[in-house]
Amino acid sequence: MEERNNTTTPANAAKKCCCGWGAFVVGLVVALILGWWVLPNLMKETKRQPIAFSHVEHVQNQGMTCEQCHFVRADGTFSGAPTTAQCAECHSTILGNDPEEARFVREYVQTGREIKSEWLIYQKQPDNVFFSHALHFGPLAELKGPAEVSAFCSRCHLNVAETDVPPVYRENRLSGYSENTMLMWGCERCHAEHMAMGNTNASNACFTCHK
Amino acid sequence: MDRRGFLKFAAGGTVGLVASPIIWNTLYDAVYWTQNWGWIPRLKKGASEYLPTVSKICPSGTGFLVRTVAGTPVRTIGDRNNPVTHGAITALAAAEAELRVSPARLKTPLRRSSDGAYIAITWAEAERLLKEKMQAAGSSVAAVSGDPTSSINEVLSSMLNQKGSSDFYFMPGDEQPAALAWEAMGGQGRLGYDMEGSDCILAVGAPVLESWGVVAANRSLFNRTHPVGGEATQKFLYAGAVQNNTAAGADLWLPMKNGTDMALMLGIAHLLIKAGKKGFAAGLGNFAAFVEAYTPEKVSAITGVPSARLEAAAKMLVEARRPLVIAGSALGSGGSAGPVMAAVALNMLLGSVNRQGGMLDMPFPVSVVDHATEYRATIAKRFVDYTQSVAAGKTKAPAFLLVYAANPVYSLPADAGMKETLAKAGFTVAVASFMSETCAQCDLVLPAALGMEAFDDVQTPYGSGRVTYALARPVAKPFENARGAGELFIALAQELGLELGVKDMPELLYKHAYALGAPFRSMMEEGKVHVAGFDLPASPLFYNWEAIRLAASAPGAEGDLQVAPVVVLGMGTAQTAIPPFATKVVTDYQLKGRYSVAQMNGATAAKLKVKAGDLVRLVAGNNVEITVVAAIFEGILPDTVSLAAGLGHTAFDEFSKGKGANVLALTSVCREPGTGLPVWGLAGVKAARA
Amino acid sequence: MSSEVKEFKIKWGMVIDIDKCTGCGACMVACQAENNVAPAVDGSNKLRSLNWLTVFRLSNHKPFPDHEVAYLPRPCMQCGKPSCVAVCPVVATDKREEGGIVSQIPPRCIGCRYCMASCPYHARYFNWYDPKWPGDLAQALTPDVSTRMRGVVEKCSFCHHRFMKAQEKAVANGQDPMNLPDGAYITACTEACPNGAITFGDLNNPAHKVHELIKSPYAFRLLERLGTEPQVYYLSKREWVRREGDNYLEHEKTGEARKQG
Repeated sequence: MEERNNTTTPANAAKKCCCGWGAFVVGLVVALILGWWVLPNLMKETKRQPIAFSHVEHVQNQGMTCEQCHFVRADGTFSGAPTTAQCAECHSTILGNDPEEARFVREYVQTGREIKSEWLIYQKQPDNVFFSHALHFGPLAELKGPAEVSAFCSRCHLNVAETDVPPVYRENRLSGYSENTMLMWGCERCHAEHMAMGNTNASNACFTCHK
Repeated sequence: MDRRGFLKFAAGGTVGLVASPIIWNTLYDAVYWTQNWGWIPRLKKGASEYLPTVSKICPSGTGFLVRTVAGTPVRTIGDRNNPVTHGAITALAAAEAELRVSPARLKTPLRRSSDGAYIAITWAEAERLLKEKMQAAGSSVAAVSGDPTSSINEVLSSMLNQKGSSDFYFMPGDEQPAALAWEAMGGQGRLGYDMEGSDCILAVGAPVLESWGVVAANRSLFNRTHPVGGEATQKFLYAGAVQNNTAAGADLWLPMKNGTDMALMLGIAHLLIKAGKKGFAAGLGNFAAFVEAYTPEKVSAITGVPSARLEAAAKMLVEARRPLVIAGSALGSGGSAGPVMAAVALNMLLGSVNRQGGMLDMPFPVSVVDHATEYRATIAKRFVDYTQSVAAGKTKAPAFLLVYAANPVYSLPADAGMKETLAKAGFTVAVASFMSETCAQCDLVLPAALGMEAFDDVQTPYGSGRVTYALARPVAKPFENARGAGELFIALAQELGLELGVKDMPELLYKHAYALGAPFRSMMEEGKVHVAGFDLPASPLFYNWEAIRLAASAPGAEGDLQVAPVVVLGMGTAQTAIPPFATKVVTDYQLKGRYSVAQMNGATAAKLKVKAGDLVRLVAGNNVEITVVAAIFEGILPDTVSLAAGLGHTAFDEFSKGKGANVLALTSVCREPGTGLPVWGLAGVKAARA
Repeated sequence: MSSEVKEFKIKWGMVIDIDKCTGCGACMVACQAENNVAPAVDGSNKLRSLNWLTVFRLSNHKPFPDHEVAYLPRPCMQCGKPSCVAVCPVVATDKREEGGIVSQIPPRCIGCRYCMASCPYHARYFNWYDPKWPGDLAQALTPDVSTRMRGVVEKCSFCHHRFMKAQEKAVANGQDPMNLPDGAYITACTEACPNGAITFGDLNNPAHKVHELIKSPYAFRLLERLGTEPQVYYLSKREWVRREGDNYLEHEKTGEARKQG
């Protein structure tokens, strides 16, 4: 080792040094690109919703309210997305001239195929999570206007109220969950720290959220 | 690049990766795999609905709410609004949503090929075959139904009648001997029991809290008369060889040797007459003279019931305001008429006939299908007489035999001639929901929908004290290719050009509802159940002491040991086997590994020189031999072993198959003196350590 | 960790009238179906099958004909001082929530089975194998309780999901989820018992039937003298049945432990 060091000429050393740092930097940059962009994208599979549903069209142009599709049932459970039958209350025949609309009526309404079971859920939770929308709707009554409601819902959900096409759904190839799925720490923002969003009094006991 | 350069590149790469989120995110994502076990089924999501209907699997027609999630049944829950069963549910009906998708469920029509294997065929082929064979058979057609409460029977009997055959039968049950006995004692209608109106019930042989009569209704009555932590408003006595589930709910258990039901009741009659209870009717003198000989000492010797308990039972009946005596068989089939005659006589002595809380003369269900045989006529017919006659060659074997909702190959004794009849019959068809032992012997097997998947009904089941009518409504899609049996038979009749007077099941059900004045629309739409009133006729009952004397002369079972079968509804019925979700109801004193468990008391075990856990060989009079595991249980008579019914299946699925032995294999058919009724259920065995 | 009895404003409890139970097993079937416990091919083998609720047959130990029989359904006792919680190294089981139900989170469980060893009621079961729903049986899974995997312990949860649903329903209908009326939340076994042997409710709430029932002189709890303070009570007018509830010396009477508090 020592002998070799001794044989290194200054010119050589300078060149080596320069080249060496270059290799390090190249490695660093390549790894950063891989680690920040390439691999995360490879890890995720991009999926499309079965229908290019437009919230803008339904809410702003047709004047529908959120509760017409997203509502709490009488037994307290939450109906997150409408069924084909509910859609068909208006879309029994093709309305307008949007090709997606025509496709929806043809492929779902007329065949009875269930859109709800095909719809990709951005916030999909595992089987062992119990989540009740009704129990989280306490503050909803005091909110004024759709903007405030949107802001409230988007504390956990993607804000889709003003989208014309559904956001891209990206599924983690390893875990099978949506990249938007909220993790346990997300729930614990309130459940473990009661004062985080006003006093929620939420219990952080295991069975509060697990089943 | 030299080695040093490469190392530097690698170092840079490592630093870069560590500084990027990929490693940590991948590790984080891997954590999901603590829950992502891909081979373990996931839950489904969707709206829950609770839809009221009635069970057609449970013989008591339990009213339940079928909970569906996104249209698929996941649970059955007792329906509190049902006026018959009041929310009570049996272990069998509670397992029905899972039974619906059990591995034994038939999915598609099957045809037996020449090598005995079953080939899946389409419904079109099956219907063509059915039509052809039935047409070709002419009047040589026969059918048996295992579901006496359904009006689908009328469609079958009408078809047979129009083809010129009178060979439509019900599977043997508790009602046939009872109907015979009731008629012998002068009853004109159908025998019913107003258990609700009684304040003291003595059940002799009949396990009223587990398998006899309208069990779910009986249990709900027990619930209401025995408030939690409070005083019971109804006394309940049970006589039977084993301290079974019914005995567990009884205030007094009369340990009665198997087959000595008549002696026990005649002994009680003796005590009642002594106590001055002698409801007058023709033949009282002769009857009183006949029971004079049945002194408590003598009866105690015959039945094994300690005379003190016999006297206690008689005292409770005497002191009760509206006592009721019920007789029936432990097995639910193969019982004798004699005990029911004795029970009628006891109720007559007590004045408990045709009054509140007594035995009632009820109307029989009526038929609404053109050319159908009346219920009353069908119940009088004896299927085992027919099969034995066919097996012996005395009656011509049918060219076409249809078995509906029944499993006679399993649920009848071996010498009942069922296997021979199936072998001799030209073409055999089973319409069933599960791959049973009987299906495994038929040429054509057709998958029938369950009660929750098709239109059907429950007309007043035997054991009720009220006329009731409930509809089974399709609250879920039929499983795979299963079809409603009613619609299938109606379509077949139409194909054959036979006239039923109804075009589909809803019309048939409507006609029944109309005949009873029941609100069809709310029954159909909301699952409401109808309870009809009826007038109590003054039927001229008399003490038919001659018939009682003859029946009482029946010999007991031979052999050193008596076998006392115990029926547990959770272990299936004559129609179904053990439901997958009820296997845990089977206890280790009923089944141990591959063996049935024979429970016996310590004295019997000492006599047989066996210990708990020993293998014991039981040899019956018909030379059938089974090996069982001995268990000690003191709630059983000496020289008696109890065996659970519902074991020993060779068909169905892994939840039933290859478990223990069929207790019916030990029994043989014999005739009751006087009535000539084919009876079984008494088995004397010899035992030896295996 | 659980050196003292945990008290809550709401205390869900069960009162089982043994004199009403006749051992039909409907409760066990309903429990299994409700909680997605996989069916066992040989369910009579109680060592290898999982039974959140088991019905035991009791005997007065007298020879024929004086023998008497009774049946005792055993769910998880939801002890006030649960010995399982104290030994769990990973807090997979806990008693922290209003209602006093002892929680069990299978994915968190590491399968050490300390809790099984510590439970005096044998109310806990281990998944020695992966659960199996042969054929199409998985179609009948309820959406309420997650399926477990091999290597974890599971037990009765008093159908906790029904508590959550009752709260959810109360909130949706503008009622107080922390003051549910009697019967708004009952377990699947309570609902299924055709004899009405099981009563369920809030032991602390005077409006609930169980509140009175547990004061009965015939009420007792299993192995009461261990001090686990179960939230499951039993009723029987028969002294021999009450004696079966604990290990008594010949001269000892039942109910002594209760008097001492």
